Amino acid sequence: MKNLFFFLAIICLATLSLNWPAWLNFFYCKPDLLLIFMVALVFYTNFKLALIFGILAGLVKDLFLPGTWAINMICFGISSCAVYLLSRQMSMEENYLRLAVVLAVGLLNNFVFGMLSLATGNFILPGIFLRNLILISVYSTAVAPLIFKLVKKISA
Amino acid sequence: MFKLSRKTLINFIFVLIAVFLVANSLSCLKSPVQKVFKPHLSLIGLAKRELFGVIFYHRNMLKAESLQKDVDLLRWRLFDLREFILENNRLKNLVNFKQKSPLRLVAARVIGRAMDSWSSTVLIDKGKYHGLRSGMVVICPQGLIGNIIESTEDTSKVLLINDPNQGIYSIVQRTRQEGLVNGTLGGNLIMRYLPFDAAIAVGDIIVTSGLSQSYPKGLLLGQVVSIGREFSGLNRYALVKPLVDLGSIEEVLVIIP
Repeated sequence: MKNLFFFLAIICLATLSLNWPAWLNFFYCKPDLLLIFMVALVFYTNFKLALIFGILAGLVKDLFLPGTWAINMICFGISSCAVYLLSRQMSMEENYLRLAVVLAVGLLNNFVFGMLSLATGNFILPGIFLRNLILISVYSTAVAPLIFKLVKKISA
Repeated sequence: MFKLSRKTLINFIFVLIAVFLVANSLSCLKSPVQKVFKPHLSLIGLAKRELFGVIFYHRNMLKAESLQKDVDLLRWRLFDLREFILENNRLKNLVNFKQKSPLRLVAARVIGRAMDSWSSTVLIDKGKYHGLRSGMVVICPQGLIGNIIESTEDTSKVLLINDPNQGIYSIVQRTRQEGLVNGTLGGNLIMRYLPFDAAIAVGDIIVTSGLSQSYPKGLLLGQVVSIGREFSGLNRYALVKPLVDLGSIEEVLVIIP
């Protein structure tokens, strides 16, 4: 039952991301809801479940992106493992620590994306690169508590 | 027969004249009299209203609730109607454009936007079933929107012109100066590889050149808002503001070749 709810949550968050209202965009940036969901899964469920649904969330995201390579699926999988290992090394019971992890994962993911985009020959202005790198991560961190609540409720 | 005394007759005439005078000057009297009466009349009216309000409180409350419901319903309908009016105007423009345009066009509705902020795409509600294929050009009456990159049975993904993956050979309409227009993920596009002495100025209109096979010639792209020098110092670039508001497109037209 829990698994079904997690699956439904991924669909809902993907739908929300696809129909994110333009007036909620912050300098053309919107939060990465599926990334937050992936991080929250590591905090509130067991590692196996978090990894499976994290990869699934990445796959769903890739399905709606123009790229032909499922980079998000891989990134989300690696990020799940990294956050899990980090949470084993240090206690992450404090909320602000969890938010800091979302920020760090967001920055890393967006950095990878930006670099990949540049590596494939796309032209991205430095200002826009930095804007996307910082604002998406910060916006995602700001929205994270809501997704955390959702995941906590489902996993309870 | 009718014997009236002189005194009675005079009195009667006086009364008649007085009535006549008062009747004639009624409008002059109205204002001062009403002025005198106004304070206590309003006071009584207020007291009466409050008294009736207390007496008929329950009835008024029910009536207010029912009226509030009506107001909410009407307000909702009004918003609906406004939405219909806006949609109607947009569709009218599309139909007019479709009828006037020599191109074969298929109209589609935007049902989703990009999943992340590193790409700029939209999802439309028509696909292979409606004859849409990858590479087809998507426009709207204001200008070029992008091209289809993926097509399923019922949906298609459109890569917008402000995506960095997008590269469109274009020309300056006024001087026919060529350049490559790329997306920047921002509000503007960038026209690159312009020679140092390129004939381009702020305000110039940029259109597709037709050199690349995917885009027909002469589709409107945008207007030059600023010109700068590239980092290498060999070329110049121009920032182009798209004529289409890419953040709020709702209906599009796909060109069937």
